[in-house]
Amino acid sequence: MPITRRVFLKNGALAVVGTAAIPAFLTRVAYSAANSATRNKRLVVIFQRGAADGLNIVVPHGEQLYYAMRPTINIPRSSVIDLDGFFGLHPSMSAFQPLWQHRHLAILHAAGSPDPTRSHFDAQDFMESGTPGMKATDDGWLNRALHSLPPPTQNSAFRAISLGPSLPRILSGNEPAVAVNNISDFGVGGKNPNATPIANTFEAMYDQSVDTVLHGTGQQTFEAVKMLKSADPAHYAPAPGANYPRGRFGDSLKQLAQLIKANLGVQVAFADIGGWDHHVNEGNTQGQIANVLHDFSQSLGALWTDLGNLAEDTVIVTMSEFGRTARENGNRGTDHGHANVMFVMGGPVKGGKVYGQWPGLNQSQLYEGRDLAVTTDFRRVLGEAVERHLGNKSLETVFPGFENPPGKFLKYLG
Amino acid sequence: MIFAVRRIALPLLLTSLALTASVRLAAGYKKPAPTLTQMDEHKRAVHALNRLTFGPRPGDVQKVMDIGIDKWIELQLNPKKIDDGALESRLAPFRTFRMDTREIVENFPPPQLIKQVMNGRQSLPSDPTRRAVYQAQIERQEQKQERKQESGKNPPDATASNAVDAPAVDAANKQARLGDEERAQRREARMFADLTVEELLNLPPDQRVKRVLKMAPEEQRILAASLKGGRGNDFMEGMSPQQKETLMALNNPQQVIVSELVQGKLLRAIYSERQLDEVMTDFWFNHFNIFIGKGPDHYMITSYERDVIRQHALGKFEDLLLATAKSPAMLFYLDNWLSIGPNSDIATGAPKNPHRGYRRHRFPNYPRRASVQKAKGKRSSGLNENYGRELMELHTLGVNGGYSQKDVTEVARVFTGWTIDQPQQGGGFKFEERMHDHGDKIVLGHRIKDNGEKEGREVLHLLAHHRATAKFICTKLAMRFVSDNPPQALVDHISQTFLKKNGDIREVLRTLFRSPEFWSSDNYRAKVKTPLEFVVSAVRATGGEVSDATPLANQLNNMGMPLYGMQPPTGYSMKAETWVNSAALLGRMNFALALSAGKLRGVQADTQPILSANPAPTDPQQVLAVMENSLLAGDISKQTHDTISKQMQVPQVTQRRLDDPARPPNLSVIEGLLVGSPEFQRR
Repeated sequence: MPITRRVFLKNGALAVVGTAAIPAFLTRVAYSAANSATRNKRLVVIFQRGAADGLNIVVPHGEQLYYAMRPTINIPRSSVIDLDGFFGLHPSMSAFQPLWQHRHLAILHAAGSPDPTRSHFDAQDFMESGTPGMKATDDGWLNRALHSLPPPTQNSAFRAISLGPSLPRILSGNEPAVAVNNISDFGVGGKNPNATPIANTFEAMYDQSVDTVLHGTGQQTFEAVKMLKSADPAHYAPAPGANYPRGRFGDSLKQLAQLIKANLGVQVAFADIGGWDHHVNEGNTQGQIANVLHDFSQSLGALWTDLGNLAEDTVIVTMSEFGRTARENGNRGTDHGHANVMFVMGGPVKGGKVYGQWPGLNQSQLYEGRDLAVTTDFRRVLGEAVERHLGNKSLETVFPGFENPPGKFLKYLG
Repeated sequence: MIFAVRRIALPLLLTSLALTASVRLAAGYKKPAPTLTQMDEHKRAVHALNRLTFGPRPGDVQKVMDIGIDKWIELQLNPKKIDDGALESRLAPFRTFRMDTREIVENFPPPQLIKQVMNGRQSLPSDPTRRAVYQAQIERQEQKQERKQESGKNPPDATASNAVDAPAVDAANKQARLGDEERAQRREARMFADLTVEELLNLPPDQRVKRVLKMAPEEQRILAASLKGGRGNDFMEGMSPQQKETLMALNNPQQVIVSELVQGKLLRAIYSERQLDEVMTDFWFNHFNIFIGKGPDHYMITSYERDVIRQHALGKFEDLLLATAKSPAMLFYLDNWLSIGPNSDIATGAPKNPHRGYRRHRFPNYPRRASVQKAKGKRSSGLNENYGRELMELHTLGVNGGYSQKDVTEVARVFTGWTIDQPQQGGGFKFEERMHDHGDKIVLGHRIKDNGEKEGREVLHLLAHHRATAKFICTKLAMRFVSDNPPQALVDHISQTFLKKNGDIREVLRTLFRSPEFWSSDNYRAKVKTPLEFVVSAVRATGGEVSDATPLANQLNNMGMPLYGMQPPTGYSMKAETWVNSAALLGRMNFALALSAGKLRGVQADTQPILSANPAPTDPQQVLAVMENSLLAGDISKQTHDTISKQMQVPQVTQRRLDDPARPPNLSVIEGLLVGSPEFQRR
């Protein structure tokens, strides 16, 4: 039987085992005090591309206005998974329920970028560069987050990874980062042993190339291929109960878990999920948003289960470029808006709470009279994870131009 | 500059190779030329081919030099003067290319149409082949409904949550038994199908098709199910494209449309003589991107690409813009077809009569929006700003083009009523007066008078001739043809032409191709190929013969660039940073090896076309030299050349048998290594 996180905690925190009603945070303190300094901390960032409708994801069911503004696409009070009497999860997200109950899941509502753009492309770009309004930034904040960290004990080609066929903006920059589309064909010539000399030729070719762009990527690629071969992540099958939904996002997270479990030194990782741009027929408890939320939450729930005790050192943050209009439009959908909801889950997370200041949905409280207002800058949320979890103390290099002192953190990390 | 110059007349090179190969090779390299210089004639030809086409084929460089580079460019700018008969005959079997959207829907019915036939609202077609397709789909739908009803009777969660409840347990057991029975039936059906497949495979292809058409729909379904997982290719071996199309339509009519579209795109890119026309069609499709996965767009794109994009690829920008605005594909993709003005007759509930002012006055208490909505049930009504926003951000002005949120809303109001006539039947553009928002609108400071459909045309005209549009479009063109970060002077220069010549795309390109920046040595092979450019250029360079382009399309899926598969309206990036990463590079190397080894189904790319054009060399070093010239016009770095040259001495690389030195080496590996080399990733 593989060791699940719960079992591990019980064994690791012998002193407190036996009394059934022990709050989770106590067992966690007992556990983390012993080991935390020596372990590899990792940050996983999930991007919901296409502007997810935060108001139908973490529903303010205590707001009468919410129901008035969304006559056909609201999530009825009777259907939400209530969180705190005011907010509730969309019913498709039952996979998040145990995480919330165990207080491994925190929610940040009305977060977002101060930039007013409602362009998907620009807003994603700003959230990935970490410099809203500044187009000239040529690297991503997740890459910079590694740059000012002390060098890792384990030098790994997989220190920064992205799941998918391309390397996203958020990970581009000076630190080597690897895009992995499919673990099983990450190499030259597949499993054919005769291909080795050919792979070596390619390696030498890219290694010696004077093409600056291709040379660097080529080198990283072959280093990663070798590491992956010796780690053989293929035999890290999903843990029992980790049921990844079929589809690209589930596949991405399954492979991410394999790479983490294969002990490849992953420090930051990125995956994305599209299909959130519901201008027409968004649906409510059923329909388009329900389907994509099911995929989203089931995949993340499976990743959590799959990571087992490794989840203790993992923080997962989700983000989307902006929210959607508070009112539904004429096509039972929503148009591009402003503030959104972010999820944070992980071992060190003080979960079971909705953080941030709720701006309200009154006409005067709405941004430009139409969208949920931003009360928490997304960099505030990310900064806390980068500094407190990854241990990077130079936030001014990660999010240049943004005052981000620890005193202003939301303190969602324990 | 990255590439050393190494261009020696081939016979001379071979002679010298025979003497002292390595020394001569090394001596062949010159110092890189200083920057900001113009290219020499040979490089100009290579450059023109790299930028105006999907990559040179063997012999193309010489051909362009023979015609004269300027003359060749002028010819490419006038594609109608170029005979494209060879491509036409390759495309002849794809019937959807000759159909309008309505015909496509009729021949390859989507599920909604099948349901209408089942409900008796449409009749079965009389043509026997078409009829068979409909019947097969009806059979599918019925089966689906039966399954739904079955699972409705025995909800699956009865087994899980109410297991202690005796009747529920009974029901669950019954369901399990049913499941067993059904499984047994399916097993039998599969065995039966296996036998049928064996039998059918022994028939000539013509007979095979006839037999399948005669089968009952249920038999066809079982047969199709048994052909999953690669066996379908064996089954369709030797059939004509039409026959394949018929069989595919029996199984999944929608797939035929998409499959032909994807194959057509690749075949055109690989084989069309009107290469610039193809490049520009690809450019504009990407600019006015539409995602094939969005509902009926999958059957609307065939006409969109042919009648909207290709039609105007080298024409006037305004015509192109207007054609996209009116195309059902775009109206659906960006939701404008549903957008209804808040002050429209439908929203305010004015009766169906064009004299609205008069009527409204007479019936001041006519039920307003809310009750109309209730009365009409599912009918939606309201403004949708999706198209208004993307029209300015992505199609014309660019994101910094100086428009506001207010402009977005106003433009959305202008385009209310631009909708689709019967989208489910493949209908065309329609202006629906009753959806249109009344009143004047202010767009970018201009007052647009209340004027129905003409308001939209006025706004498109305004946008098409806007300074910001000229700059935005010209920047993108310069990024495609010159470099990822084109010089501002060049963009300004061609923007002038854009504005002066009323957005004449041909004129803009002509200016671009005559600019010194275009011919600057700095830009020689400076662009990293996108996956599409890489795959197509590899097939072209190796003289590949494509009998089925589907496997090439699958390669593009793996490389992150599925054709027609970009979901957001931004289209694919043209910049290097997007496409240079580990996963992509490995994908390219593996593709290169598979292609040259002949392991890609449907593509024959052996080394013969290259080597037969030259005095057949047998020594691997000579082969390398010939191939470097043929695949890369000799633009290979010393490092890459030396690496391949050295590695060729490892026996497995060329698989020369050590015990049989007379056996010719496997030259395809050399080709694969060159196509996967850093040099081949650039154009």
